[in-house]
Amino acid sequence: MKTKLRNTRAFAMILAAALFLAACGGNAADQTESTNAENGKISLKVYAQHFDDDTAGPFDYAVEQLKTAMPNVEIELDEAVQDGYQKLKTYAATGNLPDIYFTDWATLQTFAKSQNVVVLDDYEATEAFKSNMNPGLETRLVAPDGHVYAFPDTGIEFQLIYYNKEIFEKVGIETPIKTVNQMVDAAKKLKEAGYVPMSIFAKEKWITTALYNGFVVREQPQGLGALGEDGLTALPEPYVTAAEQVKALQQAGLFDANATNTNYDQASSMFYQEKAAMFVNGQWEIYSSQEKLGDKVDWMYWPAKDEATYEASKFYINGAGSPQGYAVSPSSKNVDTAVEVAAFLAEKAAEYRYTQLGSPIVASKTDKPIASDVPAMMQRLATEVLPNADAYSVALNKTEIQNAVNDSTQSMLIDGFTVDNFVENLNRALKKANE
Amino acid sequence: MHKYLSNKTAIVLFMLPALLVYSIVIFYPVLQTVYRSLFEWDGLSEAVFIGLGNYSELMGDPLLLTSLRNGLVFAVVLVVFQIGLGTVLALVCADPKVKGRKLLKTAYFIPVVLSVTVVCQLWIAIYDPTNGLINRLFDMLGIPYQQNWLSSPTHSIIAIAFVNAWQYMGYQFALLYAGVKSIPEQYHEAATIDGCSKWMAHRVVTLPLMKETFKFCFIIAITSGIGAFVQMLIMTNGGPGTSNYTLTFMIYRYAFMESNYGYASAVSVVLVAISLLATLIINKVFDRNETA
Repeated sequence: MKTKLRNTRAFAMILAAALFLAACGGNAADQTESTNAENGKISLKVYAQHFDDDTAGPFDYAVEQLKTAMPNVEIELDEAVQDGYQKLKTYAATGNLPDIYFTDWATLQTFAKSQNVVVLDDYEATEAFKSNMNPGLETRLVAPDGHVYAFPDTGIEFQLIYYNKEIFEKVGIETPIKTVNQMVDAAKKLKEAGYVPMSIFAKEKWITTALYNGFVVREQPQGLGALGEDGLTALPEPYVTAAEQVKALQQAGLFDANATNTNYDQASSMFYQEKAAMFVNGQWEIYSSQEKLGDKVDWMYWPAKDEATYEASKFYINGAGSPQGYAVSPSSKNVDTAVEVAAFLAEKAAEYRYTQLGSPIVASKTDKPIASDVPAMMQRLATEVLPNADAYSVALNKTEIQNAVNDSTQSMLIDGFTVDNFVENLNRALKKANE
Repeated sequence: MHKYLSNKTAIVLFMLPALLVYSIVIFYPVLQTVYRSLFEWDGLSEAVFIGLGNYSELMGDPLLLTSLRNGLVFAVVLVVFQIGLGTVLALVCADPKVKGRKLLKTAYFIPVVLSVTVVCQLWIAIYDPTNGLINRLFDMLGIPYQQNWLSSPTHSIIAIAFVNAWQYMGYQFALLYAGVKSIPEQYHEAATIDGCSKWMAHRVVTLPLMKETFKFCFIIAITSGIGAFVQMLIMTNGGPGTSNYTLTFMIYRYAFMESNYGYASAVSVVLVAISLLATLIINKVFDRNETA
């Protein structure tokens, strides 16, 4: 009996202590808020990626600049995790969205539908941001429904084929490779010489889609975006041709047998250890590849069915601009300030990318000079590609079709999956989504 | 005792906490899932009631067939390796004449306590077509059977299911071993006196008396197979394409990749229904044998 009483007392004391501590916690939070109010400072919570040089550098720079430009604003960083924006969606579902958050078009669409994002169309900051953007990047800011939901910092990113010049020379492959047949021959030669012709981290499906889209844009400049057109229920010819090309390359042994189970670390180390002669990734890989392979590495344009098509479509870019960037929550207590800060963060992050990283693929212009050494491959992009870009492909906005493309392009890299299977899968998805 | 059992208030009072926990933790979420499956809902916006729309769409979804087939294959592999092999090992370890039984018992259980991620990474390396242990071993033995174990759209599910079977065989072994040990020695001795060999005695005495243990093991193995997910996610991410999808992978895709929570709820309801049906069938089969 005594023991029971003692236990009950102990439980009651723990409960009381817990309540007391919880109450203290609440007071502390209230005090912080009131202190901010007393100082006349506005505290804004920002949910943004901040895990490596490429994400932390631009953000920290922008926040530093903000201290001078808007001294009355304090930024509290909530580090984003790479979870497909699940944490952000949970914040939205529970009514806890931060004032400003960085997200992609898929999430913005859901948030727009559920009114979890501020429509930025009529803000002065939006007008100013729009007027300061690099040309050709409207699709990065203005959504397909005509509204502005977020301020982007990067321009339209795209995928490249990187290759090891030394290996190509040793094996006797002439560059540039202009046609798919030349690529088939190169794959055979490289394989015979004991190299993996092209390493690809095909365990991630987006990269197989990007690879396929590279061939599609040689035939159809809009790329995969055109598949979202209402009423389109059968895969058009250019897309079938591109599928046939990918299959021909797979059958020639372009990819490693284990490609669909290879992740980024494995694929990139194959290329950097010079076991693979080519590698597919976005233009952001330029920095790492230049650092690891120096002058041995360069990038090439996507091959086409023939040289004439190659020349004509050389500057159709394998990258689609969909809206993304810093968006504002309607539940913020300081929406107007948050909009200004979001635009500022995007502009300054772009400034950092241009001046410090030497990347020309940024959303907004800056009059500051480039402060760092720009890798030769990036210089080539800046002088050869960006000024001559004829068209960027269009983003595919229908998730069902996108998933079918992702699944089917990954399957194309294995034996036994035919072009007919590919067409059948895509037709089923098109019919369901577009009819 | 009789007094307590006739007191209905006491019965209700004693059962109430357990019922309450069960209702909150199990029953309410299941009901919620059934309710949500009747809506088109992205998890954030207002849900739109569509009746059985999600279910009729699901019936025409080719992923459903792939997932059901894979779930079945997975369950069969688990039954064969975990229960089949587990039973043999349990009988061997229960034999006092076998040397090193304690060591074997511990060894069989070690994979169970390892992290799934560690085990999957280990088997990814073993299955590697170029440098993996299996293909290398075949090569050394001169067997021309080089396989791309995880990239085959038809056979990789077996390779993945085997990883699960290997890891959790120790768990089923522990249950089966406890079942074997719970049978009184005298039954076995009587059978031996009647002229049964050791294995015959196991067949006519040990195994029939382990019926309840087997029932439990079958339920665990089959429902685990139907709802398998983690191994596919880590080892192949469901690919190539969707060839390694199971019902749970479908739920993951529709809920978290496509924000289609209504449809994902419908798949969840199908998963729960199939698991319950499997449990019911297993119970019926074992009970029928008991009556016979």
